[in-house]
Amino acid sequence: MTGWLDGNLVSVVDGVAFGLLLFTIAVGLSLVFGMMDVLNLAHGTLYLAGAYVAYALSDGSVWGLVLALAAGALVGGMGGAALTFLTRPLARRGHLDQAVLTLGITFIVADLLAAAFGGEVLPTDPPTALRGTVDLVGHAYPVYRLVFIGVAAALALLVHLVFERSSLGALVRAAVADRDMVRALGVDVRKVLYGIFASGAALAVVGGVLGAPILGPGPGVDESVLVLSLVVVVVGGLGSVRGALAGALLIGQVQTLGVALLPEYAPFLLFGTMLLVLVVRPNGLIPSAVRT
Amino acid sequence: MLTTACGGASLGTGDGDQQGGPVKIGLLVPQSGTYKALGDDMKQGFELYVKQHGGKLGGREVQIVIADEGETADSGKAAAEKLVKQDRVLAVSGVVSSATINGVKDLFENSRIPLVGSNASPTTLTGTKYIWRTSYVNDEPGKALGKYIAEKAGGPVFLIAAGYQAGKDEVEGFKSTFLPAGGKLAGEEVYTPFPATKNFQPYLAQIENSGAKAVFCFYAGGAAVDFVKQYRDFGLAGKIPLYAPGFLTEGGVLKGQGEAADGILTALNYSADLDNAANKQFAPAYQSAYGVPATTYAMASWDAAQVLDKAIKAAGGTVTPESVNAAIAKVGDIDSPRGTWQFNSGGTPVQPWYLREVKQGANTAVSELGRLGG
Repeated sequence: MTGWLDGNLVSVVDGVAFGLLLFTIAVGLSLVFGMMDVLNLAHGTLYLAGAYVAYALSDGSVWGLVLALAAGALVGGMGGAALTFLTRPLARRGHLDQAVLTLGITFIVADLLAAAFGGEVLPTDPPTALRGTVDLVGHAYPVYRLVFIGVAAALALLVHLVFERSSLGALVRAAVADRDMVRALGVDVRKVLYGIFASGAALAVVGGVLGAPILGPGPGVDESVLVLSLVVVVVGGLGSVRGALAGALLIGQVQTLGVALLPEYAPFLLFGTMLLVLVVRPNGLIPSAVRT
Repeated sequence: MLTTACGGASLGTGDGDQQGGPVKIGLLVPQSGTYKALGDDMKQGFELYVKQHGGKLGGREVQIVIADEGETADSGKAAAEKLVKQDRVLAVSGVVSSATINGVKDLFENSRIPLVGSNASPTTLTGTKYIWRTSYVNDEPGKALGKYIAEKAGGPVFLIAAGYQAGKDEVEGFKSTFLPAGGKLAGEEVYTPFPATKNFQPYLAQIENSGAKAVFCFYAGGAAVDFVKQYRDFGLAGKIPLYAPGFLTEGGVLKGQGEAADGILTALNYSADLDNAANKQFAPAYQSAYGVPATTYAMASWDAAQVLDKAIKAAGGTVTPESVNAAIAKVGDIDSPRGTWQFNSGGTPVQPWYLREVKQGANTAVSELGRLGG
């Protein structure tokens, strides 16, 4: 019985790691959709690009990882800028056109990545210093996942502070709530909105760099990441940082502890949870105060 | 068997045999998508045999026509239709996916063109006259391991597999020999959602909690890499022996798993280090031609070329799809890199199976597990 209990405690910890990974990826999707009203189905592709960056630059040292993070942030910012540019003509044409366009982009980029890196899964090892396991209540747990929890939690706090506590965040929220008023104050609203897209994309790519040892790069990873992110966004509530965190942590637990306790329902747990949340709270757990 | 007038008139390649001219062989393998790596192995194995035999099969010049199987049954079917109806090939080899081979079954049976398949072989594919496989039936790797693990494990065994048809076939095959040999299961078998499962932690926790003395799993491709690495990352490797059908560590996935794969025990009909005359002709040549160790997929395609070589020769003066098909049925012993084998009445091999262990990043044959397929 003790074995059963602490075995599941490991699942709880792993659920936090997985949830924070989902947060890093999904918060950008949520902000871009919630604030700019752009449905970006290329979001999973940004994660995949980050995972390939990690694969290409990881050399077993911590500096390799730091370099990959810097390169990932750069790739993400550029990817975000490119996506803003490409989706701008469709701004007033609704979500369907945006979905078709960004989905088309995912197919093209996925083919390009497959041509560059091949059709197989290329797992990325964490830096040598962060490999191995630690003892967690009598069970082995990978060191890297614990480190990941620390880094991703810091990232989550930073995103929260910037978007919901800083004057920059106030400006962003104001630009979403009343563009004309903010424009009248002499602020270039377009730049502010582009900034949201670029930082959301950069977060997804950085998530890919950090997440590569957990969800390695390979064909199809982009789709599974996109689906999980969409579920997190829907469960958490559009456009809010805290909502994305709540949704991500819940889905993380569903995918680890839930699966450990109810393996026979594993295929239905994810969407069952989404259904349940939407019945009780149709706007998600913590929807954005700005938009509704 | 009845054929419709339409089928006879418009399909067959029955424009007669051009005496001594080249023969066209279709290769239906993925050139794109998830299965491309397997498709490359199969194409390379087939082409190596032809190259080693002066560009000829059965004394006839060979023209290989490649068609992209793609990822789905639909893309595979379209490519097969093109080979049969437009290119009018003498015979076809290849086919990675079970969905494709089920989808093209009627096409080959009705147009009476032999398909010497070198991979896909679902348990449900029976009663065919024109479809042969040089690989194995899907449940055989599990069958080959059952008795061995029952004797070796020294306690209950945990079964875990990808939740799709091939995973279920393997687990059923395993149980069919494991349970009668006195093996005990550690709880219910677990099928993980496929391909959605990327984080195996909850299942690994379950394995730990079950008190299992060994694990039998079925994974291939990307999931095989994830499962093996996480099995090591969560400290199960070296503690609970991991057994699996050979694809868990076959080909490109083994490179991806790196040292995490060391010590894994698998069953397969081939290992690149087998010591026999045919393998000496095959494995080193394959390694030097393509820079990677030969896989069972490449080997089965090399054998498919060998089967066609012998059958075309035996068909002699009248080389037509039907005469070649009749000759395949009588082809007899195949001197293969896996050891000698024959087709059984179902068109799949009666062949030896091997227990292999991953040592320093390579599959090495440990012992023979006996013959299956009879």
